[in-house]
Amino acid sequence: MPPRVIDRVTDSSGLSVGVLGVGNIGTVHLQSALAMPEVTVVAAADAVPENRTRAERAGVPRTYDDYVELLDAESIDAAIVALPPFLHADAVSRAADAGVDVFVEKPLARSTEEAAALLDAADRGGIAVGVDHTLRYQSDMQGVKRAYTDGRVGHVPYASMTRLNDHPLGRPPAEDEPPAWPHDPDAAGGGSLYELGLHCFDLLEWVFGEVEVRDAVMGNSLDVPVEDAATVLLRAPETETTITLHCGSYQWEELPEVNTELRLEGIGGTISNDEFLPANFYASAARSAIENVTKRFTGAEPDVYAPTFYLEAHYDALADFCASMRANEAPPIDGADGRRALELAEVTYERAKTDGETETEHPEVLS
Amino acid sequence: MARLQTPIRRLLDSHLSSLGAATTVTLVPDAHYPYHPSTGMVTDPAVVGATVAFLERETSTDVAVAGTSEYVTAERTSAYLDLDDVLDRFDASLVDLSETPRTTETFTLGDQSVAVAVPDRLTTSSVIPLPTLRPTQDGPIAGGMRTLASHVDCSVAGGVGAAAATIAVDPELAVLDATTVYAGKSYAADTLLAGPTAAVDAVGARLIDRSVSDDPAIRHGLRTAPESIGVEGVDVTTLTARCPSGELPPPTKPHPAVSLAYRTYAAVSGDAVPPQLDGR
Repeated sequence: MPPRVIDRVTDSSGLSVGVLGVGNIGTVHLQSALAMPEVTVVAAADAVPENRTRAERAGVPRTYDDYVELLDAESIDAAIVALPPFLHADAVSRAADAGVDVFVEKPLARSTEEAAALLDAADRGGIAVGVDHTLRYQSDMQGVKRAYTDGRVGHVPYASMTRLNDHPLGRPPAEDEPPAWPHDPDAAGGGSLYELGLHCFDLLEWVFGEVEVRDAVMGNSLDVPVEDAATVLLRAPETETTITLHCGSYQWEELPEVNTELRLEGIGGTISNDEFLPANFYASAARSAIENVTKRFTGAEPDVYAPTFYLEAHYDALADFCASMRANEAPPIDGADGRRALELAEVTYERAKTDGETETEHPEVLS
Repeated sequence: MARLQTPIRRLLDSHLSSLGAATTVTLVPDAHYPYHPSTGMVTDPAVVGATVAFLERETSTDVAVAGTSEYVTAERTSAYLDLDDVLDRFDASLVDLSETPRTTETFTLGDQSVAVAVPDRLTTSSVIPLPTLRPTQDGPIAGGMRTLASHVDCSVAGGVGAAAATIAVDPELAVLDATTVYAGKSYAADTLLAGPTAAVDAVGARLIDRSVSDDPAIRHGLRTAPESIGVEGVDVTTLTARCPSGELPPPTKPHPAVSLAYRTYAAVSGDAVPPQLDGR
């Protein structure tokens, strides 16, 4: 992360923000920013009229159908880039031209090559690049890391991580047409490995230090143009831990149930993220909601998204980025972290291809 | 797919003369969304493939498979489910019925006048619906009648519309794919049922514990009393005991009351509203 050359924050405490892309995750960021003290959302951009209407209803003063127009017209300190991946490099380059710091949804780019070009553009513009790798901010993952660092189970020879969901197809009943770009390797960069695996790589290096990809197998439950499952064998040399990672987009997800599992098998026992999740989601959500209402009447700030802990992590990640921008410091998760996760994904693809000198054959959908 | 060839032949052999006399046969599977066939939420492409293979082998008729673009384009669903491969292998074609001309017909069903606009493909060819065994979003069996109705514009919604669509199409027979059943959970029933469409739907409804008499589609579609439907080769009582009887999962979009409650809470507390709970 190069030193920031210009202090662009418009006053000593506030941060003016534009949101580029207000689809699903962009709306989570938008709502987070709107609820954030010392952050002002001045504008949002989205090509979809319904998304702009939703942003306006949420309280955004001005909306644009093109993020380039927003960056040209608005004087902002930072931009949240929640566009499809194929637009990240262009959006960051244009933000760099405008001298606007960026918080980029993962994947940072579609490849390490594109990430390098993106980061070069950011360097030239003297802007900071933050990346939304949110698993580090989930309370259950923080609990695992804390227990591990505290030495609760001693040496951990083996760890396993699983992350499954149903993006972008969803579960029954069928409702809307799923977007096409997540299944387009040119647009998304990859499949499940990009959608879910990048988060997992970032988390595993956060817990164990640098990891190496030893082997991998890709899977396709449906005949989609990208992988909808990836199984990766990793090794963390620093902690001498062998890790298996499985991520897939083939499993129906019914919120608030989220299938993210991390288990550390240590000499003295097991650490599981389950230990740090609410025993009863609905009771926990109700308690958080009551606490937030009470805070309002006592003049305290609410814990944003506290009733939905997996979204609270997105709030905390963005809040951390905004705080670092206000303090004129480097982002806590920066472009180098985003590029590193992509590097691990690319090695994973290579390992999967070179396994047995032949590309893994995809199973047929037909039973 | 090979394991299905003999069961399909046994089910269709008695219809061979009428199917062979048709210029074209259109198979209408439940391919409304690219769900994995192992869930039972769509017709297994292997069942479609075995049926196409039988018809191509035993007749000289042209075979087409009907797709729908209700949620996802027919081409995309066909590709994801590997139906493309099946069709290529047996020289059959995919027809997106949402893009074909329609003919409107009006008739009386019970005391209701019903207008239907049916894709010409379904009135000019011999038709075999190939539904999977699952419930609809509002509870009854999806079945052959509702699978056909999903391709037909009808002035009356629900079960009456499904019965009207079936009368207008007049399918040769229906083949119910119960190799995997979905009703709240999946079950590998490993069963295929064939016969008149409404009768097959009635048996399927019983298997997933739906009331036949409460379903207007079956009530209007059946030409006989439900209890007089005979089933050969399947122990319906045993299979019913094994099949699940639940519903589809709740919609992803929240109930309006839940959205309103969350927005009210957010307004009072200053919390943010997740897009999944906004509901607008």
